[in-house]
Amino acid sequence: MNRSRAILNKTAWAVFTILFVIVLNFFLFRILPGDPARAGMKDPRLKQEAIEALQVRFGLDKPVINCFDSLNPIKIGNCNVNPLETQFFIYIGNLFKGDLGISYDTNRPVSEMLSERLWNTILLIGAGQILSIILGMVFGILGAWKARTLVDYGSTGISLLFWSLPTFWLGIVLLFWGSANGFPIAGKATPGMSSYPLFQQWGDVLWHMFLPTLTYTIIFMGEYTLIMRSSLVDVLSEDYILTAKAKGVSAFQILKDHALRNAMLPLVTVIAINLGFTVAGAIQIESVFSWPGLGSAVFEAVERRDYPVLQGAFILIAVSVILANLLADLTYTYLDPRVQVE
Amino acid sequence: MKQKFLFVFLLFALVLSACGTGQSASTPAVVRIGWGGGPDTLNPGMAILAVEYTIFELVYDSMYDLNLDGSFTLSIAESATASDDGTVWTFKIKEGLKFHDGEDLTAEDVAFTYNLYKDTPEYPYLNGYYTTYFDSIEATGNNEVVLTLTEAIPNIESQLVYLYILPKHIWETASPTEFDNVTMIGSGPFKLAEYVPDEFVRLAANKEHFATPPKVDEVIFQTFDNPDALVQAIKTGQVDMISSLPGTAVEGLKSESAVTVVTGAPFSPGPEDIIFNQIDPENCPVDEGGLCTGHPALRDRNVRLALAHATDKQKIIDVVLFGLGTPGFTLIPDGLGVWFNNTLTDYEFDTAKANQILDDAGYLDTDGDGVREMPDGSRALSFRINWDSDNSDYPRIAELLKEMWAEIGVALEPQAFDADALTAICCPTFDFDIMIWGWVSDPDPSALLYVYTTDAIPYGSSETGYSNPVYDELYNQQQVTLNFEERKEIVWEMQRITHEDVVYIIPYYAQAVQAFRNDRFTGWIIDQSKIELTDVTSLVLIEPVR
Repeated sequence: MNRSRAILNKTAWAVFTILFVIVLNFFLFRILPGDPARAGMKDPRLKQEAIEALQVRFGLDKPVINCFDSLNPIKIGNCNVNPLETQFFIYIGNLFKGDLGISYDTNRPVSEMLSERLWNTILLIGAGQILSIILGMVFGILGAWKARTLVDYGSTGISLLFWSLPTFWLGIVLLFWGSANGFPIAGKATPGMSSYPLFQQWGDVLWHMFLPTLTYTIIFMGEYTLIMRSSLVDVLSEDYILTAKAKGVSAFQILKDHALRNAMLPLVTVIAINLGFTVAGAIQIESVFSWPGLGSAVFEAVERRDYPVLQGAFILIAVSVILANLLADLTYTYLDPRVQVE
Repeated sequence: MKQKFLFVFLLFALVLSACGTGQSASTPAVVRIGWGGGPDTLNPGMAILAVEYTIFELVYDSMYDLNLDGSFTLSIAESATASDDGTVWTFKIKEGLKFHDGEDLTAEDVAFTYNLYKDTPEYPYLNGYYTTYFDSIEATGNNEVVLTLTEAIPNIESQLVYLYILPKHIWETASPTEFDNVTMIGSGPFKLAEYVPDEFVRLAANKEHFATPPKVDEVIFQTFDNPDALVQAIKTGQVDMISSLPGTAVEGLKSESAVTVVTGAPFSPGPEDIIFNQIDPENCPVDEGGLCTGHPALRDRNVRLALAHATDKQKIIDVVLFGLGTPGFTLIPDGLGVWFNNTLTDYEFDTAKANQILDDAGYLDTDGDGVREMPDGSRALSFRINWDSDNSDYPRIAELLKEMWAEIGVALEPQAFDADALTAICCPTFDFDIMIWGWVSDPDPSALLYVYTTDAIPYGSSETGYSNPVYDELYNQQQVTLNFEERKEIVWEMQRITHEDVVYIIPYYAQAVQAFRNDRFTGWIIDQSKIELTDVTSLVLIEPVR
């Protein structure tokens, strides 16, 4: 009973947070300066009629919200309109229909644009996460098991170095190295591959993934190794491990059955948090390698003030961070039954 | 075990893909172009970006072709004749023109297209600017298009050059704004083969094109988000041409023997300008929100002239553009070709002369703080200077100006603004002293010449508040002068006047820098004053190096 109640409680909080983000997100972008019809453009040829037509197209001719006159100096809102005819209600209504609006720049539905990008990001970051988790755990366990030996110092030293590398810098270095060695340095596929057999297309994508995934893996592997190592070293010094050793349990079994499960807790937290931000994409990696993911979409949208895309991406990122945290919480209760909600 | 299998699979896939790409490069002639952007939309009406127009130029035909020297040639029509009063134009469309899907291109399609652009106010450029003077368009039985204008205009070519001819049979049932046009049926020298947003555009040659069938088989435009990757890609031969590169990389790339770096005026030049708020209080557009708080000294030509003499343009070009620019005169850039008045001479950089001008005009440093005061001692020559915070060149220009102008006792208070905030204080508010900003340009000079007129003040197009009845009269004259040579004379005179009045200081006209692999394709047009290797003019001419 306690456990299902805890789950329910946490889920309710997550839903509440998401609703809050949705409302905040709307006002955030309405307070920012920016007129889509003029965003960053100064062109003597753009006529007033064209600007008005654009405003109608993006629904910006409607008042932001029903009545907000008291909230000067923000000066948004108009008391004499039907509340259902305001940008706010249209936004909420569309959101529940899965409609995130139309991009100012591409004139395409934001949800369509973001979902294409989302899969590319998941592909890249997913591969990077899996590789870095595996490698991080292996080196972390190795370091803890052989603590204070050359192996430990070596793996800890390298991990520290990897973790402290600036992502952008490492990306550029690998780009220079990779291009000199024949690796593709931009995009997700070779143009013109669509007429080839499917497995060859997949191979081409993997080929293009090599450099960005390598960059991502190196950066995150260091972090995971360090966390895994330090938490395992802690656990291995506990009394119950000593007891297990005294009972004559084999070293491998101690590690597998007694130490690892406890030592995983901090790593799970970090992985869950990282996974949440996965959706934001590794913005820097994607822009170095021109990977058409969500991160580069956000980057471009900021540059061009494409507010509907930013707004949609923010919701997506917020929701995924919240869900990932929820997932971490729930995994906790599984890994460590002592973790409960009061 | 499972992991091992995965690994072997990966290796297998990698080897296969490497073989695959190696094979495909050998047979057809594929030009791979790396560029910093990509089209956001393939619907010509909704397009805004220059890269979109690059693709349209290749895939569509229009009434006229724009040459690299700024002149025009008739394209899909055999003849164009104007009525005596210049308001009715008759275009005889060539016979036998085909769209990429095999349908005929006739006067019907032309008339349909022009009406579509004219009747769709959501099209920012094609409607808002280029169809302004259209009254009616009709196709006659004789494969002729009759275009009736509301008034005679001197620049019909530049009005029609971007009005891409669309197939009526596809567009008549489509929503003009929502249609994404991903099949992009046109009639131009290239046809769309594949478009993946934000990744690449692949075009196949239309070998049956009536005028300029390409010699290569395919052109691929690949998007690079990272300028360093572009440079690296051409160095290592992953692409055959790049349409832009960072100024810092130019010298390094020049030393590569297989790469040729070319510079020249850009195809669509955008002048950068140092704007003086010189609006006369009498002209202040109060009804439109005009505040007109500009420093009174800037209304004095002597002060502006002194600032011009105190500006070392070459230094700005060297520091900001790594030398890749030419000193500017007026808003009409050298890239406009025939319209650019190349007889103007610049104010020489001479700090002593600048100081002398200010001394003679009575602007003296009476309180000895290093900054001059107005002749009546009321205010110091200390100006606010603002710029668009999105631009990374402007802060450097501002910093250089601050140093240079300090030499003649003029102080600056620099501050960057968000583009919207800048628009708010700019025009028609005139709540600033000096600004650094830029314009985008059109092949015809009219739009930029309009910026200097008194009429433009209340509309927010005039950013200086400059008002000169002689200039205004010339502007109206050039709008109705149908003879090219006569119009050119007027346009040149207008540039002379505004240069003489130091309405702006134009720090530079930036140059385009592009690079191509000289071991892959030959025939790029690089001997013109303008450089644009992605333009149709080059891409239909190039052929593989034997």
